[in-house]
Amino acid sequence: MIDALAAVSRLAGAGMEAQSARLRIVAENIANARSTGSVEGADPYQRKTILFDARFDDALGAESVKVKGIVTDDSPFLVEHDPGHPAADQDGNVKLPNVNMLVEMADLREASRSYEANLQMIKQARSMISMTIDLLRSS
Amino acid sequence: MKLWRLPVEPVHLFGLVRSHAEWASVRQATISANIANADTPGFKAKDIEPFAAALDKTRLTMAATRPGHIGVEATALGTSEAGKAESWDITHSGNSVSMDQELAKAAEVQRVYSLDTSIARSFHRMFLTSVRTSG
Repeated sequence: MIDALAAVSRLAGAGMEAQSARLRIVAENIANARSTGSVEGADPYQRKTILFDARFDDALGAESVKVKGIVTDDSPFLVEHDPGHPAADQDGNVKLPNVNMLVEMADLREASRSYEANLQMIKQARSMISMTIDLLRSS
Repeated sequence: MKLWRLPVEPVHLFGLVRSHAEWASVRQATISANIANADTPGFKAKDIEPFAAALDKTRLTMAATRPGHIGVEATALGTSEAGKAESWDITHSGNSVSMDQELAKAAEVQRVYSLDTSIARSFHRMFLTSVRTSG
């Protein structure tokens, strides 16, 4: 088992990695909010979500976090009437991605907050290490 | 007055400060693990046993008579899962990590660690005062 304060940086690093992966997925969803199919009646872009999993790390002696997988959201697509669109079906309806901007923005904010909290842990561990090193300084 | 017997007692203080600082570091690692898993479904927030409880226990460690023997960690402190009573909020997925609570605990760890290093420093200074030649 490594030193507890060194473990803090590793754990918080894993947390930051997971949160940035989540941010990447959010960005992907927002970027593809209007990505429709190109042929008649084709399915548009399907919203993606990320799964986190706690995993016990023997070296750290604590539960680290990892990305378990990226799955698609199976909720129904939005339908819009636009007969001129290349992806429109016989009735003139176009399927739009099941991306809700409000949900994505809330997710973005939450990921950003969690990232900050992990960063704070690293900063604090660093300050604790400095305090210990400062003991060697002649007062 | 038997002054030469006095230094025995403060020496123990260094050991106490050291183990308390070690306890604080392990607690910091536990808090960090909680924050890293703040968005993991079903994750239960953990905390380590209080310092008084960790200090009271007499730890029997196994002697490693061969190089291949697995040793028992001296710093292995008991952890407990935060239930409904301890955690400030539990989300629908069963995750009991409260970000506010964890950051409050982290601030407390920072405070006690600062105290530990200050105590170690001031006692060290005290020893130096007695060792240094005046003039």
